[in-house]
Amino acid sequence: MTGDESMELKTLGVEPEDLDGFTIEDLADYLDADRTPPNPAIEESAGCRLALDALERLRGMTPDLRASDEAAELAADDTWVQGILAGIALDARAGRRIPLADEGLGGDLAITEGAVRGLIRAAETVVPGVLVGRCHLDGDVTEPGAPVLIRLEVGVTYGLPIPAMVERLRAEIGLRLRAHTDLVITGIDIAVHDVQLRESNADAATEGER
Amino acid sequence: MSGERFAGALDSADDRIVAGRAADGDTVAFAVLVRRYTPMMRAYARRILPGSAEVDDVVQDTFITAWGQLPELENPERVKSWLMRITSRKAVDRLRSSRPHADIDLLEPVAPPFATPPRRVEARAGVAALSAALQELPDAQRECWVLRELGEYGYEEIAEELDLPLSTVRGLLARARKYILVRMEQWR
Repeated sequence: MTGDESMELKTLGVEPEDLDGFTIEDLADYLDADRTPPNPAIEESAGCRLALDALERLRGMTPDLRASDEAAELAADDTWVQGILAGIALDARAGRRIPLADEGLGGDLAITEGAVRGLIRAAETVVPGVLVGRCHLDGDVTEPGAPVLIRLEVGVTYGLPIPAMVERLRAEIGLRLRAHTDLVITGIDIAVHDVQLRESNADAATEGER
Repeated sequence: MSGERFAGALDSADDRIVAGRAADGDTVAFAVLVRRYTPMMRAYARRILPGSAEVDDVVQDTFITAWGQLPELENPERVKSWLMRITSRKAVDRLRSSRPHADIDLLEPVAPPFATPPRRVEARAGVAALSAALQELPDAQRECWVLRELGEYGYEEIAEELDLPLSTVRGLLARARKYILVRMEQWR
Protein backbone atom coordinates (compact mmCIF):
# COMPACT_ATOMS: atom_id res chain seq x y z
CA MET A 1 0.00 0.00 0.00
CA THR A 2 2.82 2.38 0.72
CA GLY A 3 5.13 1.03 -1.93
CA ASP A 4 7.90 1.42 0.60
CA GLU A 5 9.10 -2.00 1.67
CA SER A 6 11.16 -0.62 4.57
CA MET A 7 7.98 0.39 6.40
CA GLU A 8 6.20 -2.62 7.76
CA LEU A 9 2.87 -0.89 7.95
CA LYS A 10 0.05 -3.27 7.34
CA THR A 11 -2.62 -0.67 7.81
CA LEU A 12 -1.69 2.77 9.01
CA GLY A 13 0.26 4.92 6.58
CA VAL A 14 1.52 8.44 7.26
CA GLU A 15 2.61 9.62 3.83
CA PRO A 16 0.40 11.46 1.31
CA GLU A 17 0.18 8.36 -0.90
CA ASP A 18 -1.43 6.52 2.04
CA LEU A 19 -3.68 9.45 2.83
CA ASP A 20 -5.29 10.20 -0.52
CA GLY A 21 -3.00 13.16 -0.98
CA PHE A 22 -3.43 14.65 2.49
CA THR A 23 -0.53 15.04 4.90
CA ILE A 24 -0.29 14.27 8.61
CA GLU A 25 -0.04 18.02 9.10
CA ASP A 26 -3.37 18.50 7.28
CA LEU A 27 -4.96 15.86 9.47
CA ALA A 28 -3.54 17.31 12.69
CA ASP A 29 -4.93 20.72 11.69
CA TYR A 30 -8.26 19.10 10.91
CA LEU A 31 -8.34 17.49 14.36
CA ASP A 32 -7.32 20.79 15.97
CA ALA A 33 -10.42 22.28 14.32
CA ASP A 34 -12.52 19.47 15.84
CA ARG A 35 -13.17 18.09 12.36
CA THR A 36 -15.32 21.11 11.55
CA PRO A 37 -16.42 21.99 9.00
CA PRO A 38 -16.48 18.31 8.01
CA ASN A 39 -14.25 17.60 5.03
CA PRO A 40 -15.82 14.76 3.03
CA ALA A 41 -12.59 14.08 1.15
CA ILE A 42 -10.91 13.33 4.47
CA GLU A 43 -13.84 11.61 6.13
CA GLU A 44 -14.36 9.28 3.16
CA SER A 45 -10.73 8.28 2.88
CA ALA A 46 -9.97 5.03 4.66
CA GLY A 47 -6.30 5.95 4.98
CA CYS A 48 -7.14 9.33 6.51
CA ARG A 49 -9.60 7.81 8.94
CA LEU A 50 -6.97 5.35 10.17
CA ALA A 51 -4.48 8.15 10.65
CA LEU A 52 -7.06 10.37 12.36
CA ASP A 53 -7.88 7.54 14.76
CA ALA A 54 -4.19 7.08 15.50
CA LEU A 55 -3.69 10.80 16.03
CA GLU A 56 -6.69 10.92 18.34
CA ARG A 57 -5.47 7.94 20.33
CA LEU A 58 -2.14 9.66 20.65
CA ARG A 59 -3.74 12.87 21.81
CA GLY A 60 -5.85 10.93 24.30
CA MET A 61 -2.65 9.55 25.79
CA THR A 62 -1.12 12.94 26.51
CA PRO A 63 -2.87 13.47 29.86
CA ASP A 64 -1.81 9.96 30.92
CA LEU A 65 1.76 10.70 29.89
CA ARG A 66 1.69 13.91 31.88
CA ALA A 67 0.29 12.13 34.94
CA SER A 68 2.76 9.27 34.71
CA ASP A 69 5.70 11.66 34.24
CA GLU A 70 4.58 13.67 37.24
CA ALA A 71 4.09 10.58 39.39
CA ALA A 72 7.65 9.52 38.58
CA GLU A 73 9.07 12.74 40.00
CA LEU A 74 9.98 13.26 43.62
CA ALA A 75 7.68 15.38 45.74
CA ALA A 76 9.12 18.66 46.93
CA ASP A 77 10.70 17.97 50.30
CA ASP A 78 11.42 20.59 52.94
CA THR A 79 15.04 21.01 51.87
CA TRP A 80 13.91 21.80 48.34
CA VAL A 81 11.26 24.26 49.49
CA GLN A 82 13.62 25.98 51.92
CA GLY A 83 16.27 26.20 49.20
CA ILE A 84 13.88 28.09 46.97
CA LEU A 85 12.61 30.34 49.74
CA ALA A 86 16.22 31.18 50.58
CA GLY A 87 16.72 32.37 47.02
CA ILE A 88 13.81 34.78 46.75
CA ALA A 89 14.05 38.47 47.45
CA LEU A 90 11.77 39.14 50.38
CA ASP A 91 12.03 42.91 50.12
CA ALA A 92 10.54 42.71 46.64
CA ARG A 93 7.09 43.00 48.19
CA ALA A 94 7.63 46.00 50.47
CA GLY A 95 5.61 48.24 48.17
CA ARG A 96 4.93 51.85 49.01
CA ARG A 97 6.07 53.58 52.16
CA ILE A 98 3.12 54.60 54.29
CA PRO A 99 3.89 57.39 56.78
CA LEU A 100 2.76 57.13 60.39
CA ALA A 101 2.05 60.16 62.55
CA ASP A 102 4.94 60.62 64.96
CA GLU A 103 3.32 61.12 68.31
CA GLY A 104 5.84 63.62 69.62
CA LEU A 105 8.75 61.25 69.13
CA GLY A 106 10.23 63.41 66.41
CA GLY A 107 11.08 60.37 64.27
CA ASP A 108 10.26 59.67 60.67
CA LEU A 109 7.94 56.73 61.13
CA ALA A 110 6.50 54.63 58.37
CA ILE A 111 5.11 51.19 57.64
CA THR A 112 5.43 49.42 54.30
CA GLU A 113 2.49 48.54 52.11
CA GLY A 114 3.59 44.93 52.34
CA ALA A 115 3.36 45.04 56.12
CA VAL A 116 -0.15 46.51 55.87
CA ARG A 117 -1.17 43.65 53.60
CA GLY A 118 0.25 41.30 56.22
CA LEU A 119 -1.93 43.00 58.85
CA ILE A 120 -4.98 42.54 56.65
CA ARG A 121 -4.24 38.87 56.03
CA ALA A 122 -3.68 38.29 59.74
CA ALA A 123 -7.27 39.39 60.43
CA GLU A 124 -8.37 36.03 59.06
CA THR A 125 -7.15 34.35 62.25
CA VAL A 126 -10.29 35.50 64.08
CA VAL A 127 -12.68 34.25 61.38
CA PRO A 128 -12.22 30.49 61.05
CA GLY A 129 -13.00 29.24 57.56
CA VAL A 130 -11.78 32.37 55.78
CA LEU A 131 -8.58 32.73 53.79
CA VAL A 132 -7.53 36.12 52.48
CA GLY A 133 -6.18 36.19 48.92
CA ARG A 134 -4.94 39.15 46.90
CA CYS A 135 -5.39 42.52 48.50
CA HIS A 136 -5.12 46.07 47.10
CA LEU A 137 -4.75 49.46 48.73
CA ASP A 138 -6.36 51.95 46.32
CA GLY A 139 -5.41 55.57 46.91
CA ASP A 140 -2.31 57.59 47.60
CA VAL A 141 -1.20 55.84 50.76
CA THR A 142 2.02 57.85 50.84
CA GLU A 143 0.04 61.03 51.48
CA PRO A 144 -1.12 61.38 55.12
CA GLY A 145 -4.89 61.76 55.29
CA ALA A 146 -5.55 60.67 51.70
CA PRO A 147 -8.61 58.43 51.34
CA VAL A 148 -7.80 54.76 50.87
CA LEU A 149 -10.06 51.96 49.69
CA ILE A 150 -9.10 48.43 50.69
CA ARG A 151 -10.08 45.68 48.23
CA LEU A 152 -9.49 42.02 48.88
CA GLU A 153 -10.49 38.56 47.75
CA VAL A 154 -11.29 35.81 50.19
CA GLY A 155 -11.90 32.11 50.04
CA VAL A 156 -14.56 30.71 52.33
CA THR A 157 -15.09 27.16 53.45
CA TYR A 158 -18.11 25.48 51.93
CA GLY A 159 -21.24 25.48 54.09
CA LEU A 160 -20.42 28.41 56.36
CA PRO A 161 -22.58 31.57 56.53
CA ILE A 162 -20.81 33.90 54.13
CA PRO A 163 -22.41 37.29 54.97
CA ALA A 164 -21.71 36.93 58.68
CA MET A 165 -18.13 35.88 58.08
CA VAL A 166 -17.47 38.71 55.65
CA GLU A 167 -18.91 41.21 58.15
CA ARG A 168 -16.75 39.82 60.93
CA LEU A 169 -13.65 39.97 58.75
CA ARG A 170 -14.37 43.52 57.63
CA ALA A 171 -14.74 44.65 61.24
CA GLU A 172 -11.53 42.93 62.27
CA ILE A 173 -9.53 44.44 59.39
CA GLY A 174 -10.84 47.91 60.25
CA LEU A 175 -9.88 47.42 63.86
CA ARG A 176 -6.37 46.30 63.06
CA LEU A 177 -5.75 49.05 60.52
CA ARG A 178 -6.92 51.72 62.94
CA ALA A 179 -4.71 50.27 65.66
CA HIS A 180 -1.55 50.03 63.59
CA THR A 181 -1.79 52.67 60.85
CA ASP A 182 -3.06 56.18 60.27
CA LEU A 183 -4.74 55.31 56.99
CA VAL A 184 -8.06 57.01 56.28
CA ILE A 185 -10.10 54.04 55.16
CA THR A 186 -13.13 54.86 52.99
CA GLY A 187 -14.22 51.28 52.64
CA ILE A 188 -13.21 47.63 52.75
CA ASP A 189 -14.49 45.74 49.71
CA ILE A 190 -14.43 41.99 50.14
CA ALA A 191 -15.04 39.73 47.17
CA VAL A 192 -15.74 36.13 48.09
CA HIS A 193 -13.96 34.24 45.43
CA ASP A 194 -13.66 30.65 46.27
CA VAL A 195 -16.00 28.43 48.16
CA GLN A 196 -13.42 25.88 48.94
CA LEU A 197 -14.10 22.33 49.88
CA ARG A 198 -12.25 21.10 52.89
CA GLU A 199 -11.70 17.44 53.60
CA SER A 200 -14.23 17.36 56.43
CA ASN A 201 -17.17 18.32 54.26
CA ALA A 202 -15.98 17.33 50.82
CA ASP A 203 -17.92 14.09 51.14
CA ALA A 204 -21.16 15.96 51.63
CA ALA A 205 -20.65 18.07 48.55
CA THR A 206 -21.41 16.86 45.08
CA GLU A 207 -18.12 17.79 43.53
CA GLY A 208 -14.73 16.77 44.83
CA GLU A 209 -11.53 18.67 44.58
CA ARG A 210 -7.89 17.66 44.82
CA MET B 1 2.28 36.11 61.50
CA SER B 2 -0.72 34.63 59.75
CA GLY B 3 1.47 31.76 58.71
CA GLU B 4 1.86 28.46 60.42
CA ARG B 5 -1.55 27.52 61.73
CA PHE B 6 -3.12 28.27 58.36
CA ALA B 7 -0.70 26.26 56.29
CA GLY B 8 -3.14 23.34 56.32
CA ALA B 9 -6.02 25.41 55.00
CA LEU B 10 -3.74 27.02 52.44
CA ASP B 11 -2.68 23.60 51.21
CA SER B 12 -6.20 22.89 50.09
CA ALA B 13 -7.06 26.42 48.96
CA ASP B 14 -7.43 27.09 45.27
CA ASP B 15 -4.73 28.62 43.12
CA ARG B 16 -6.35 32.03 42.96
CA ILE B 17 -6.20 32.53 46.70
CA VAL B 18 -2.78 30.96 47.16
CA ALA B 19 -1.15 32.79 44.24
CA GLY B 20 -2.85 36.04 45.27
CA ARG B 21 -1.29 35.80 48.72
CA ALA B 22 2.09 34.91 47.26
CA ALA B 23 1.81 37.94 44.97
CA ASP B 24 1.24 40.03 48.09
CA GLY B 25 4.39 38.68 49.71
CA ASP B 26 3.17 35.70 51.75
CA THR B 27 6.06 33.23 51.62
CA VAL B 28 3.98 30.50 53.29
CA ALA B 29 1.58 30.68 50.34
CA PHE B 30 4.49 30.67 47.92
CA ALA B 31 5.82 27.52 49.59
CA VAL B 32 2.41 25.92 48.95
CA LEU B 33 2.81 26.68 45.24
CA VAL B 34 6.32 25.23 45.30
CA ARG B 35 5.08 21.99 46.85
CA ARG B 36 2.03 21.83 44.63
CA TYR B 37 3.77 22.28 41.29
CA THR B 38 7.36 21.08 41.67
CA PRO B 39 6.68 17.53 40.36
CA MET B 40 4.69 18.84 37.39
CA MET B 41 7.42 21.33 36.51
CA ARG B 42 10.22 18.81 36.95
CA ALA B 43 8.41 16.35 34.69
CA TYR B 44 7.83 18.98 32.02
CA ALA B 45 11.41 20.28 32.15
CA ARG B 46 12.67 16.71 31.91
CA ARG B 47 10.70 16.17 28.69
CA ILE B 48 12.37 19.25 27.20
CA LEU B 49 15.81 18.42 28.62
CA PRO B 50 15.90 14.61 28.82
CA GLY B 51 18.86 13.16 30.63
CA SER B 52 19.95 16.56 31.82
CA ALA B 53 21.24 17.25 35.30
CA GLU B 54 19.82 20.75 34.95
CA VAL B 55 16.17 19.95 35.51
CA ASP B 56 16.23 21.00 39.16
CA ASP B 57 18.09 24.20 38.27
CA VAL B 58 15.42 25.00 35.70
CA VAL B 59 12.63 24.48 38.20
CA GLN B 60 14.39 26.46 40.91
CA ASP B 61 15.08 29.32 38.48
CA THR B 62 11.47 29.21 37.42
CA PHE B 63 10.21 29.65 40.96
CA ILE B 64 12.62 32.50 41.65
CA THR B 65 11.52 34.29 38.49
CA ALA B 66 7.89 33.54 39.34
CA TRP B 67 8.25 35.10 42.78
CA GLY B 68 9.57 38.29 41.20
CA GLN B 69 6.82 38.44 38.59
CA LEU B 70 3.81 37.22 40.55
CA PRO B 71 2.55 40.73 41.34
CA GLU B 72 2.15 41.32 37.59
CA LEU B 73 0.22 38.10 37.01
CA GLU B 74 -3.19 39.51 36.18
CA ASN B 75 -5.11 36.35 36.75
CA PRO B 76 -3.69 34.42 39.72
CA GLU B 77 -5.98 31.45 39.09
CA ARG B 78 -3.94 30.78 35.95
CA VAL B 79 -0.75 30.38 37.96
CA LYS B 80 -0.34 26.74 36.93
CA SER B 81 -0.13 27.35 33.19
CA TRP B 82 1.89 30.48 33.86
CA LEU B 83 4.46 28.41 35.77
CA MET B 84 4.51 25.92 32.90
CA ARG B 85 5.31 28.77 30.50
CA ILE B 86 8.18 30.03 32.60
CA THR B 87 9.46 26.46 32.97
CA SER B 88 9.59 25.94 29.21
CA ARG B 89 11.25 29.28 28.65
CA LYS B 90 13.96 28.46 31.20
CA ALA B 91 14.41 24.95 29.81
CA VAL B 92 14.68 26.25 26.23
CA ASP B 93 17.27 28.80 27.38
CA ARG B 94 19.37 25.94 28.73
CA LEU B 95 19.01 24.06 25.45
CA ARG B 96 20.22 27.07 23.52
CA SER B 97 23.23 27.59 25.71
CA SER B 98 24.21 23.94 25.42
CA ARG B 99 23.65 23.80 21.66
CA PRO B 100 24.57 27.17 20.32
CA HIS B 101 24.67 27.06 16.52
CA ALA B 102 23.26 23.80 15.28
CA ASP B 103 21.11 24.13 12.20
CA ILE B 104 17.97 22.64 13.58
CA ASP B 105 16.60 21.58 10.22
CA LEU B 106 19.59 19.42 9.46
CA LEU B 107 19.31 17.35 12.60
CA GLU B 108 17.88 14.10 11.36
CA PRO B 109 16.60 11.27 13.52
CA VAL B 110 19.31 9.04 14.83
CA ALA B 111 16.93 6.75 16.63
CA PRO B 112 18.26 3.47 17.88
CA PRO B 113 16.13 0.90 16.03
CA PHE B 114 13.56 -0.82 18.22
CA ALA B 115 14.72 0.29 21.61
CA THR B 116 13.11 -1.89 24.25
CA PRO B 117 9.62 -2.14 22.79
CA PRO B 118 6.87 -2.89 25.27
CA ARG B 119 5.31 -6.29 24.67
CA ARG B 120 1.68 -5.34 24.67
CA VAL B 121 -0.08 -2.09 24.18
CA GLU B 122 -2.40 -1.55 27.05
CA ALA B 123 -3.19 1.88 28.40
CA ARG B 124 -0.07 1.95 30.54
CA ALA B 125 2.07 0.32 27.90
CA GLY B 126 0.80 2.87 25.39
CA VAL B 127 2.10 5.64 27.59
CA ALA B 128 5.40 3.83 27.99
CA ALA B 129 5.65 3.41 24.22
CA LEU B 130 4.90 7.08 23.68
CA SER B 131 7.47 7.99 26.28
CA ALA B 132 10.11 5.85 24.57
CA ALA B 133 9.25 7.22 21.14
CA LEU B 134 9.64 10.76 22.43
CA GLN B 135 13.09 9.96 23.71
CA GLU B 136 14.10 8.71 20.30
CA LEU B 137 13.09 11.93 18.55
CA PRO B 138 15.77 14.37 17.49
CA ASP B 139 15.91 17.34 19.85
CA ALA B 140 14.15 19.87 17.65
CA GLN B 141 11.23 17.58 16.89
CA ARG B 142 10.89 16.57 20.51
CA GLU B 143 10.95 20.17 21.70
CA CYS B 144 8.21 21.14 19.26
CA TRP B 145 6.07 18.17 20.21
CA VAL B 146 6.53 18.72 23.95
CA LEU B 147 5.74 22.43 23.76
CA ARG B 148 2.68 21.74 21.61
CA GLU B 149 1.19 18.74 23.40
CA LEU B 150 2.40 19.09 26.99
CA GLY B 151 2.88 22.85 27.09
CA GLU B 152 -0.23 23.58 24.99
CA TYR B 153 1.60 26.16 22.91
CA GLY B 154 0.21 27.40 19.62
CA TYR B 155 2.38 27.01 16.52
CA GLU B 156 3.30 30.69 16.47
CA GLU B 157 4.24 30.57 20.14
CA ILE B 158 6.55 27.61 19.52
CA ALA B 159 8.17 29.45 16.63
CA GLU B 160 8.78 32.43 18.87
CA GLU B 161 10.05 30.39 21.80
CA LEU B 162 12.44 28.31 19.70
CA ASP B 163 13.35 31.19 17.42
CA LEU B 164 12.42 29.24 14.30
CA PRO B 165 10.32 30.08 11.24
CA LEU B 166 6.71 28.99 11.57
CA SER B 167 7.05 26.73 8.52
CA THR B 168 9.97 24.94 10.17
CA VAL B 169 7.95 24.38 13.32
CA ARG B 170 5.06 22.94 11.33
CA GLY B 171 7.45 20.65 9.47
CA LEU B 172 9.17 19.49 12.67
CA LEU B 173 5.84 18.78 14.33
CA ALA B 174 4.60 16.82 11.33
CA ARG B 175 7.76 14.72 11.35
CA ALA B 176 7.52 14.17 15.09
CA ARG B 177 3.92 13.03 14.77
CA LYS B 178 4.67 10.72 11.88
CA TYR B 179 7.57 9.17 13.72
CA ILE B 180 5.54 8.66 16.89
CA LEU B 181 2.57 7.21 14.99
CA VAL B 182 4.76 4.74 13.14
CA ARG B 183 6.60 3.69 16.29
CA MET B 184 3.40 3.20 18.24
CA GLU B 185 1.95 1.21 15.37
CA GLN B 186 4.97 -1.08 15.32
CA TRP B 187 4.41 -1.80 18.98
CA ARG B 188 0.72 -2.59 18.73
